[in-house]
Amino acid sequence: MRDIFAEIWATAKRNKLRTGLTGFAVAWGIFMLIFLLGAGNGLINATEQNNNQFMDNSMVVFGGETSKPYKGFKEGRPIQLNDRDFGLTKNRFATHIEEVGAIVSQGPLTISYGENYTSSPVLGVFPNYQAINKIEMCYGRFINNIDNEQQRKVIVISDEQAKELTSRPIQSLIGRYVDVGSNAFQVVGIYKKKQSGSSSYGNTPFNTLRILYGGGDNMEQINFSFHGLDTEADNESFEKSLRSSINKNHDAAPDDNSAVWIENRFTQALQMETGMSIIRTALWIIGVFTLLSGIVGVSNIMLITVKERTREFGIRKAIGARPWSILKLIIIESVIITTFFGYTGMVLGIMANEYMDMTIGHEQVDAGAFKATMFVNPTVGLDVCVEATLVMVIAGTLAGLIPARKAAKIRPIEALRAE
Amino acid sequence: MIHLKDINKTYQGAQPLHVLKGISLDIAEGEFVSIMGASGSGKSTLLNILGILDNYDSGEYVLGGALIKDLSESRAAAYRNRMIGFIFQSFNLIGFKTAVENVELPLFYQGVGRRKRHQMAMEYLERLGLLPWAEHYPNEMSGGQKQRVAIARALITQPRLILADEPTGALDSKTSVEVMQLLKQLNAEEHKTIVVVTHESGVANETNKIVHIKDGIIGRIEENLDHHASPFGINGVMK
Repeated sequence: MRDIFAEIWATAKRNKLRTGLTGFAVAWGIFMLIFLLGAGNGLINATEQNNNQFMDNSMVVFGGETSKPYKGFKEGRPIQLNDRDFGLTKNRFATHIEEVGAIVSQGPLTISYGENYTSSPVLGVFPNYQAINKIEMCYGRFINNIDNEQQRKVIVISDEQAKELTSRPIQSLIGRYVDVGSNAFQVVGIYKKKQSGSSSYGNTPFNTLRILYGGGDNMEQINFSFHGLDTEADNESFEKSLRSSINKNHDAAPDDNSAVWIENRFTQALQMETGMSIIRTALWIIGVFTLLSGIVGVSNIMLITVKERTREFGIRKAIGARPWSILKLIIIESVIITTFFGYTGMVLGIMANEYMDMTIGHEQVDAGAFKATMFVNPTVGLDVCVEATLVMVIAGTLAGLIPARKAAKIRPIEALRAE
Repeated sequence: MIHLKDINKTYQGAQPLHVLKGISLDIAEGEFVSIMGASGSGKSTLLNILGILDNYDSGEYVLGGALIKDLSESRAAAYRNRMIGFIFQSFNLIGFKTAVENVELPLFYQGVGRRKRHQMAMEYLERLGLLPWAEHYPNEMSGGQKQRVAIARALITQPRLILADEPTGALDSKTSVEVMQLLKQLNAEEHKTIVVVTHESGVANETNKIVHIKDGIIGRIEENLDHHASPFGINGVMK
């Protein structure tokens, strides 16, 4: 074995450019594959993280404008959701719906505490708002059912707002009263504002806010979590029947798609997942083709190598080399070159991904209202790296095999005549 | 040692070329034979067949008691490795290997260990006066030196048969004489069977038996025990 390595070392040294080019083709193929997949994973991870801020199996319904004339009304009539819609949603669709809530909003209102104040919209919400929007609490609690039933004047503010209101540790605000508009509200909780969410809101009980501001029986949104709708078709038929029921309440055509808007996070997530898998597949295809170009490079160079060395193989055969030993020489050379350079490419690719992770992986795009990370963990699993390198090595071997067989088969006298 | 009976060889092509037309020849162990003929006479083809580098179409070739016919490449390689030493006109050394590595190569294919191989190769180089050149590459040596490396490589497996294809063809007259002296010495001292293919009568004159071949047929076999008989042989002037 040591002799074979010595032989290969000698030939590689004699043909630096050729060996270098082969190696470059291989290393480049692996490098590009790993780098591409890493960047793709970074994008996908970031998108998933950004999308992960809502509960998947939830829907939000809000009023729109009619788009067709119906029952004597002409099109373009705004639709305002109300308690009837809420009750209908809750009762008629009880088989699928878990918890129904609604939202009203006011503002922006000034929230002040002593000398300090901040201004933001204030929402009147149900307790389910926390789960649906995945709100994480820093201190205290979120709005609960008792708050809503008793129409308590309580508020949950964001950590960002809390910092504006006090220079002391923000948990000291819990239990304190702040002025919201012209009313005093007790702070019961502080939530963590999302990095990529929209701006801060004050959250108060739905009933409290609606009554304080004379909202009658109107509401802006109905939101609910659901279960048992597993396919896109199920979701579609559910949405269709919900829409036609609500439309009927407002004398709008049952099939009028713009009278109320339904935002289904489940189908959104489903579509996102489809989109992501398309991106993933596309990345793999590009990667595999890059890998393929590396393989073609190896085969090409192996072909030339064998042709160039035909006479040498003839000499070797004349002095007693068996076909198998010629075959072995070429194949081992091919394997060693692809392994060595494949490994180099792999290491460089991983290094590039780590570099990307360290730099733009932690860089956030600041869009004013929210921040978004473009790349999250742009790396590839080690298993994929090793697999890609193995594929390269195997392909390199196969690439070497064809010309090697030809060289091993050629009669020594023909090989000796070659120049 | 060598028994050829009615060997025929045709090169297939657009115009099939019947090169050997029934060659029958016996060479005993320890003989020093030259095969002489003009270019195209078939002498090189005959040598290639003797060296199992090429196959023949019909007839019978027995080498050292073994019938050489339709051998697999592996068997042929083994015979070449153990029975035959080759000396070529163009030396056929491997350019990226040093002299000693070139000499070692046949032993590598016999599976001899590295250290043993190296030691033996150095011994043979020393015998041929090439020790100082052991680590040199072929392109750093003169023609005569290269041919002596090739001879060392041919001898290292201690073959019973040495086949030389125009061994002096690329050498000047002085080194030609040296190479022929070397072959004569090998024949005389070690009783190696040596077959030399040449078109130079001076070279042929150094051997003990001259086989004349013409148009693929053996013309005349002459015993040549008195090397001074021919005017070409006087003072070893060959060219």
